[in-house]
Amino acid sequence: MPRLRGIAPGLALGLLVIDLLGMVVLSAVTPSFLSTYNLFITGRDLSILLLVALAQMTVLALGQMNLSVGSIGGLVAIIESGLMVRYGLPVPVSLAVGLLAGTACGIVNGLLIDWTKINSFVLTLGTSYVFAGINLGITHATPFYHIPNVIGSFGQARVGPFPVMAAVTIALTLLLAGFLYQVVLGRQLLAVGGNQLAARLSGLPVRRAVVTAHAISGFLAAVAGTLLMAQLGQGQPTIGVTWVLPSFAGPIIGGAALSGGSAPVVGTVLAMVLISLIDDGLVLVNADPYWVQFLVGALILGAVLLGRTRVTNLRALATIVPRIADRLRANAAGTRDQ
Amino acid sequence: MALPGSKVLQLPARLTGDALLRQLALFALLIVTVGFWVFFSVAATGFTSDFNLFSLLRFAAIQITIGFAQMVALSIGDMNLSVGAIGGTAGMFAGWVMQSLGMPPEVAVLLAVGFGMLLGFGNAILIIWTRLNSFIVTLATASLITGAMLIVTHARPFSQLPDAFTAFSESEVGGLPVSPLVLVMLAVGAALFLLYRNLSLGREMLAVGANRRAARMSGVSVDRVVLWTHGLSGLLAAIAGMMAIAADHTASPGLGSDWLLASFVSPAIGGTLLSGGLVSVPGTILGGVLLATISSGLLLMNIDNFWITVFLGVALLLAVGLDRLTRAAGGAVT
Repeated sequence: MPRLRGIAPGLALGLLVIDLLGMVVLSAVTPSFLSTYNLFITGRDLSILLLVALAQMTVLALGQMNLSVGSIGGLVAIIESGLMVRYGLPVPVSLAVGLLAGTACGIVNGLLIDWTKINSFVLTLGTSYVFAGINLGITHATPFYHIPNVIGSFGQARVGPFPVMAAVTIALTLLLAGFLYQVVLGRQLLAVGGNQLAARLSGLPVRRAVVTAHAISGFLAAVAGTLLMAQLGQGQPTIGVTWVLPSFAGPIIGGAALSGGSAPVVGTVLAMVLISLIDDGLVLVNADPYWVQFLVGALILGAVLLGRTRVTNLRALATIVPRIADRLRANAAGTRDQ
Repeated sequence: MALPGSKVLQLPARLTGDALLRQLALFALLIVTVGFWVFFSVAATGFTSDFNLFSLLRFAAIQITIGFAQMVALSIGDMNLSVGAIGGTAGMFAGWVMQSLGMPPEVAVLLAVGFGMLLGFGNAILIIWTRLNSFIVTLATASLITGAMLIVTHARPFSQLPDAFTAFSESEVGGLPVSPLVLVMLAVGAALFLLYRNLSLGREMLAVGANRRAARMSGVSVDRVVLWTHGLSGLLAAIAGMMAIAADHTASPGLGSDWLLASFVSPAIGGTLLSGGLVSVPGTILGGVLLATISSGLLLMNIDNFWITVFLGVALLLAVGLDRLTRAAGGAVT
């Protein structure tokens, strides 16, 4: 029986402790960690990357992957900024079209996977190049600079140290968790991920679950692209190109299984907090920025190793500890006898 | 390397049953490639010039070798997402050995290729030890390897490679517009062909890819096969890295960052099954040549760069889609 709950208490608790420790260490080592500006910058990066990670997590819950999260985010930012700059469309219309386009990209992924039965890794690798190609075709690798000020100022807006855009991410995270754990279609999505054949045989709408998951993934990637465009204050064609690694790192460190059936929203959030702490810490101590890539790789390996060995280690401990105790007791008895 | 008393494994009937169909698919791929050559010779001015043929074939040779590195991992039903990381790091390592240590190119290439193989062994050991999916392990090691390389090199390229090394990729074989890199690729391809056709290790790799459980039950040491497979994949990625720095005349830290799609496309077009158990060396070569031909032809016809990117993605999807169709036609149960 696959775990349908999104929360692995042990793992989430462990991540929470590490996160808190990280914050304490960072604020002790570099006082500038707690500066309003630094918290704002870090919170803003986290707001964007968390959406990217949740976009991947939703598809992983199905036991599938979406390698096109980055190219969807980039394409959406380009569509939105292009509509505003080149065609002078109003901001709400442009954003709506962009978000719809991103969702449509996800729906295309889902329909193609369901129709062709091609492995989701290969299929979304293919579509990611198609989306990136369209991006290149629209922009010829030149950014759309002069987007309306309202977008850029939204990207810089903050309340104290809290970026305003974090509200978007928090709202979407709660909505996603509610959908996955409380709504019938969300539960069905997790059931399909747990065992697709069983889900099909018990009459669950497999296609609807697959297409919905990919649509959500496309939509979340689209929102992330929009927020990054707001942060940068321009429509950069390179938005999203570095997202593949964090998109997998968050859910995997957070406890998702590639085989599907679990959607650890809390774990993913805590894992992304950890990654942004590492990122920020390295910046604050003026370390080589390349350490981030190295450490995130190490973190993925470490987390999955821990997850893999946790159960077996506990079992081993349970058998070893009494044996060691026996040995100690025997030794103690031996020394006493002498 | 074979276990004492182990025989060369027979492939399951499913894989040999549609052999004719696969031969036809390969032939069709050849026809399509030739068709594009004829089309571009007429439509794209300069396509048949010595300069263009030379760079086209050299580009194809590198792409095909990258494809080989992935094909080997796919043959056992694994993936190697660190092909680009290993190739790029081996390239930087060779650049360092040649430029900073002043060692001769032969030594540098040998060391770097060995280094690539070691990195591949590292992947294998992690996969065997943790029993984790190769996707997660190589995703993580790709990030580790690239990160470590960037930290160590400070992302500075090695651009003063010895002339003897760079001249190798520019020379022409027998006065034809063919770089020696093409011969390197063909030699690697021939070795892989022999491996999969005649050596017990190669047959065992295919058996593991076709059905890991069944292979284990029939006495194949799956761990040993995984070890050699990922080692070989790393070695091939490093060879591709050597070819790329020879062609670029510089070892740059960005090398390998865009190899992921390329590594899957040529094998997929050539009929290698992504689920494992079936590879085609000639197919991978033809697939790579077809891609290089179309990229080069479209470029010469001044067709926008973005079409080439879109085309690469669509080509991958079509190849895998057609593969599913032919297998369905051949009666294979999936």
